[in-house]
Amino acid sequence: MTTLVNGEIEETARQQAPTRSRGDWAVVARQESRDLWLSGRGPLLLFAFSVLLSVFTYLAATNQAINFLEQREAVDLTLQIAIAVGVLVTLLVSADALSGERERGTLESLLLTPVSRRAIVLGKLVGALTLWFAAFLVAIPYVWVLGRGVSIVKTALLLGLGVGTVLAVGLAALGLLVSALSSSNKVSLAISFFLLLAFFAPSQLPGGLPKGWFGDVLGKINPVGSGLHYSTAVLVHGHGWTRDLAYLISPLVLAVLASAVLLVLSERIVRLNAGGER
Amino acid sequence: MRTRLSVAFAALAALTVIPAAHAAAQQTDGLEVTVDQPRITTVIGDRITIRAHVTNSGSTASDPLIAHLNVASLTGTYVDLEDWTAAPTQHLEPLGGHATTALAWDIQAVNAGRFDVYVVVLPNGPTSSGTGPAMASSPVEVTVAGKRTLNAGGSLPVVIAVPLLLGAAALGSRLRLRRIRAH
Repeated sequence: MTTLVNGEIEETARQQAPTRSRGDWAVVARQESRDLWLSGRGPLLLFAFSVLLSVFTYLAATNQAINFLEQREAVDLTLQIAIAVGVLVTLLVSADALSGERERGTLESLLLTPVSRRAIVLGKLVGALTLWFAAFLVAIPYVWVLGRGVSIVKTALLLGLGVGTVLAVGLAALGLLVSALSSSNKVSLAISFFLLLAFFAPSQLPGGLPKGWFGDVLGKINPVGSGLHYSTAVLVHGHGWTRDLAYLISPLVLAVLASAVLLVLSERIVRLNAGGER
Repeated sequence: MRTRLSVAFAALAALTVIPAAHAAAQQTDGLEVTVDQPRITTVIGDRITIRAHVTNSGSTASDPLIAHLNVASLTGTYVDLEDWTAAPTQHLEPLGGHATTALAWDIQAVNAGRFDVYVVVLPNGPTSSGTGPAMASSPVEVTVAGKRTLNAGGSLPVVIAVPLLLGAAALGSRLRLRRIRAH
């Protein structure tokens, strides 16, 4: 929620009017981040996230029967939970970004500021991504506790940062698109949540995806499933970093495509009424 | 009469089976499988290499062969061979007379305990496939020392401290917001 409470955007507007500055998005991003973290929403989400990771880590650490490979799988699972929950909260925050402002009646004042709509969506995208980076920072000690004995902490963290950031960018941009086009905040959140479930569901099928070319294609076009598959291949199966790179294509395509569509269409889709007048 | 007929049938059956078994035995006659070392001591998680040699001391070429590595626990530990190696089976070309071929398996010790690791060679020709006999090498005794890398005590500071710190931060931000709203 970007407001004019502290007058930061107003001040920027006064200083830079009538031309729009290239750094406007940074002002919006700063304000978004401040709202997210100082309103208590961000810390509360992180607290719930850390409780989840703590329970899982403790269960893995007290399991006396866990063998060497299962410990690697435990690190991989922790990383997958961190990525999945991290991108879930990022998606939900971005899905609320425009439709939420619309419903709270704060979008009008934001649109009146001399900040381009492209800068607004870019700022909101960066603001939502701060939640992902914070979730990743919280996951670091858990990955360290589980992975230090099997020497995969560095690999796991690099994988988590790389795969998670690409997925978070793609899903946050998708969430903002849904938010801009949805008639209400409820619709935006419901569609975003459904999208995330649709991305995660195939990986939960008993026995995995069907074997053969169809299952292979299905696995590779699902950005979340293929991103997580890549991390498992490197961490658990010991594959080289380049062997399964094909699995990173769909997360990268989602990130680039969703961000590009969002930025290109921002002037048309960021409106007071979704689908109505500007 | 009935007994005599049974004996006759049994004799006939034996006559048909014996040549087949004899033929199968011929496919592996003179073959021998040996391992390079009798014992290995390692630590859990380490990779070790098991080397074996298959020798055909006969004068004729053997059928194609299958060499399979197996791990048997001597201490009752459950062994999942797939965890130790992703490729326990190797397919070998027919081995010429008086020829030897070297085999190697790179395996990872994923359980602690004492294990016998051995190699079994089976014929896999058009007629000999599935008939055996199987030839086993002498076992390599692998002793894997445990290394407890995960313990509840070690994880406690993290699993308690992180949520406590974040919970305090979340509570602090809520209280701060309430104070601002009250003013």
